Amino acid sequence: MRLDKVTKKGTKCKIKAIKAKDALRYKLLDMGFVEGADCEVIRSAPLLDPIELKIHKYLLALRKSEASLIEVEVL
Amino acid sequence: MIKVALAGQPNCGKSTLFNLLSGLKQHIANYPGVTVEKKSGFVNFEGHDIEIVDLPGTYSFSSYSLEERVAKEFILDEDPDIIVNVVDASNIKRNLYLTFQLLEIGKPVVVVLNMMDVAKRRDIEIDLKKIKEMIGCPVIPASGAKKEGKEDILRAIIETSKASYTPFKINYEELEPYILEVENHIKTKSPKNSPRWLAIKALEGDKTIHEKFPETATIAQEKRLEFHEAYDKDPESFLAATRYDSADVIYHKSVVEKSLTKKTLTDHIDSIILNRWLSFPVLFLVVFLIYQFAIVYGYKVTDYTWPLLASFKNFIIAISPSPDFTKVPLITDFAIWMVNSANALLNYVPIFLILFALIAILEDVGYMPRMAFILDRVFKKYGLHGQSTLPLVLGGAFVGGCAVPGIMATRGIADERARMATILSVPYMNCLAKVPFYTLLLGAFFPEQMGLMMFFISTITIFIALIVSRLLTSTLLKTKETSPFVMELPPYHLPTIKGVLYRAVERVWIYIKEVGTIVLAVAVVLFVLLELPGLSKEQEAGYEKRSQALLEGFYAKASKTKYKDDLNSKQAVSDLINAYDDYRAKRMIISPEKAAQMDEKFKADFPKEFMFIKPSSEDKDAMSINRELRKLSRDRRSILQDIKNDKIESSLLGDIGRGLEPITKFAGFDWKINVAFLSSFAARESAVATLGTLYENNKADNMRAEEAMSKHSGYTPLHATAIIIFMLLTPPCIATMIVVKLQTGSYKWMLFAIFFPMSLGVIASSMLFTFGSIFSLSGVEALAVFYGLVVALAIILATIPQKRINWSGGVNLN
Repeated sequence: MRLDKVTKKGTKCKIKAIKAKDALRYKLLDMGFVEGADCEVIRSAPLLDPIELKIHKYLLALRKSEASLIEVEVL
Repeated sequence: MIKVALAGQPNCGKSTLFNLLSGLKQHIANYPGVTVEKKSGFVNFEGHDIEIVDLPGTYSFSSYSLEERVAKEFILDEDPDIIVNVVDASNIKRNLYLTFQLLEIGKPVVVVLNMMDVAKRRDIEIDLKKIKEMIGCPVIPASGAKKEGKEDILRAIIETSKASYTPFKINYEELEPYILEVENHIKTKSPKNSPRWLAIKALEGDKTIHEKFPETATIAQEKRLEFHEAYDKDPESFLAATRYDSADVIYHKSVVEKSLTKKTLTDHIDSIILNRWLSFPVLFLVVFLIYQFAIVYGYKVTDYTWPLLASFKNFIIAISPSPDFTKVPLITDFAIWMVNSANALLNYVPIFLILFALIAILEDVGYMPRMAFILDRVFKKYGLHGQSTLPLVLGGAFVGGCAVPGIMATRGIADERARMATILSVPYMNCLAKVPFYTLLLGAFFPEQMGLMMFFISTITIFIALIVSRLLTSTLLKTKETSPFVMELPPYHLPTIKGVLYRAVERVWIYIKEVGTIVLAVAVVLFVLLELPGLSKEQEAGYEKRSQALLEGFYAKASKTKYKDDLNSKQAVSDLINAYDDYRAKRMIISPEKAAQMDEKFKADFPKEFMFIKPSSEDKDAMSINRELRKLSRDRRSILQDIKNDKIESSLLGDIGRGLEPITKFAGFDWKINVAFLSSFAARESAVATLGTLYENNKADNMRAEEAMSKHSGYTPLHATAIIIFMLLTPPCIATMIVVKLQTGSYKWMLFAIFFPMSLGVIASSMLFTFGSIFSLSGVEALAVFYGLVVALAIILATIPQKRINWSGGVNLN
C-alpha cells in the first residue's frame, strides 16, 4: 500500500520499499525510510497535505506526492 | 593549532554548543562560492590553540543537499584534525545515523551527547560507557543550554589529538568484497582521506566523490550493478539500512526510556498548534503578534531613538561651516544629505532588532517548520514553499513590513527554487516606508475613499508576490533545483536569552555593515546628480537680491531698538539667525526637564545672541527682535526652499527625469514624479521628501504638501492611481537590493530584481492609465479593476499544475 493512502490517524506501518529516485531517494533513506522501519501516521495538515509521521522516534512532515513513492505494509 | 570540525544533525543544539565552546571570539564568513554561512571560533584551553569550524547541520553525509556538499568538501579539502559530533541525547537513534558516517571518514571523532538535561527530564537513561565501548571514541555528556560540559569537551579534544588513532569499521557484511575492490582502484593515496571511506561513498553513488576521485566513478558504477544483481538491493539502501540497524542495536543496548508510552509535552502542544481547526487561528495570532511587537511597537520605540539620531544630525550641522545667511556651503549641504540618508536607515534598527529577536525565538522554539507544515499546500501552487510564510509576512503582509529582514529570513528554505522565488517576490510586499507616500497621495486625491484605497493597497501585494513567484518559477527559475518537502518537526524547546540576543544583534550588525556602506555610496551619487550643475548666474543674482531685501528689512526694524549697533551687519544677523535655528532644532527634540539645562548651555555658548533667542519679558526691544527673528527665519527657509527647487529642476537628476518623460507619460508621470522615484532609490523615505520639496511651493502660504499637490500639480485621481500602482510594484530600495545580492550570491539577480519590477511597474501603470483614460474611469474604479484582475490571475495560476524537475518526487511512478 502507498503511504499517502494511509490517512487514518495512529495507523502503524512497516516500510517495504522506496520507489523514489535520485536526490529524493537519498533524502528519504537518510531520514530513516529504510526497509523494515516502523512508522506511525500522526496527522495530516489542516489543508490535508502534507502529512505528519513518527519514524525512529521523531516527527517528520512530508508531502503526499513524496509519500506516494513509499510502499508500506499496514500493521 | 588543533583544527576541529563541529558536525551534527539539525536541531541537536549544535549552534548553542558552538557558542558555548568558542565564546565571543567568532569569525563569520561564507563557504567558498555559496551562501552557506561558515562560522569559526578560536579557543585557548590549557595552553592549546583550538580552532572550531561549525559545519552546516546535516542529517547525513551524502551529497543530497548544498549543506551536505559543503560539509563534505570541507572535510576533504581542509583536512580537520578532529571531528566533534554533536548528538541530541533525547533522540540518539536517528543522530547515530550521522555518527556512523562520521566515524567512517577516517578521522578521530569525539561524540558529545548534548541536551542531557532534556533527556533527563524525559526519563531517558543513557549508559555512556557502553556507547563509548561500542563506537570506540570518547563520549562526553553536555548541555549547551545549561552551559555544562565545555571543559570536558575541550579536554577530550586535546587528549584525542595526542592519542594514536584506531580506525573504526562497521561490518557491511555482503557489501564488503565490493568495498574492497573499489578501494583497490583508488589511486590518490593521500594520508588525508581514508580509502575505505572514499570507496563506500563512491559505491553509494556520491557525486562529489566521483568528481574529486574520477577513477572511482566507473568501477563504482560496475560494482553497484553487480551488487544489485546478486542481492536485488542498491548499495545506498543497503548502507542506510545497515546504519539504522546498527544505531538500533546501540540504542537498545545503552538507552532505557522509562516513560516511552507517555505523551510528551511536544505531543500536547502539537495537538493544539497543528489541530485542524485551531492551527490557522494560532498561526494568525503568532503572525499578528510578531507584526504588533516588531512593526507597531518597534515603530513606537523609534520615537525614543529618533532624538538620538536627530541630535547626531544637529551635531554634524554644528561642526559643519554655518551658512552665510542664504548661502549654504556645499560641504554643509553634503553633510546634512549624508546624515539624512544614514539616519533614514538607522531609524529602522529598533524594529529590526525586535523582529530578528522574535524570529530567533520562533526558530529556537520549533514553530517555523510547523508554520511551513500548515501553509505548504497554498504556497506550493505558486512555486513557493511552506517556509516562505515568514519571509512574506516580514516583507509586509499587512500595512507595512520590510523586505530586508524578509529576504534575510529566506536562508533556511530547503528548496532552492522556492528560496530564489521567495527572495525575488518578497520586495513586492508592503514596505513600511511606502506608507507615508501612499498617505500623501490618498490625502491629496482620495480624502473620501481613503479606507477603501488603503485596503486595496495593503491586500493586493500578496497576490502580486504570488503571481510573480509563479511566473518566475515557470520561466527563469525553471531549471533551479527543487527539493522534496521532507521536514523534521523538532520537539519544542525553550530558547536561551543569550542565544536569541546574540543572533538578533548579529543580524542587525550585518544589515548596518553591508547595507549601510552601499546606501551611503548611492547617496553620494544622488547628491552629485542633484547638485550639478547648480544655479545659473541670473538665478543666483535674483536670490542675492531677495536675501538682501530681507536683511534690509531686518536692519530697519532693529535700528528702532537699543540694539541697533549690534545688529547692523550681515555677519551679525547671519550668526544670530543660525544660532536661533540651531536652538529651535535642539529644543524640539529635548525633554521639558532638560530644557533649562540646555538654556544654560546656550547662554554660555552664545552670550550675545541668547537674549534675542529667549528674551526676558522685561526687555521689550529684545522681544520685538525675537518676533522679527521668527519672521526672518521663516522667510530665509522659503528662499532656501526655492533655491533647492531651482537646483533640482536644473539638476542632472532633473534632466534624467525629463528624459524619462516620453516613456512615463503613458503612465501619466511627469518629470517631478520621475525624480521622486529616482531619489527614493537610496531610501524610500526620500520619495515623500522630494515630492514635498517639489510641491510645497515657494509661497509662504503654509499649505501642506497634500493640498499643494492636489491644487497645483494638475493631476487627476487617475494619475494618482497610476502612481500608486507603480509604487506598489517598484522601486525596491537599495538596501533590499544589497540583501538580494547577499542571499542569491549574484549581482545578476540583483540587477534583475531592480529592472524587472521597474518594467512591470511601468507597464502596469501605463496600461491602467491608458485604459482608464479611454474608459474615463475614476481613480478608485481603476484601482478596483486592477485589483480584480490581479486576484483573478492569482487564482487562475493556482489551478494550473506546475512541473517540478531535478528529482523524481511528485511524479507518480506507477
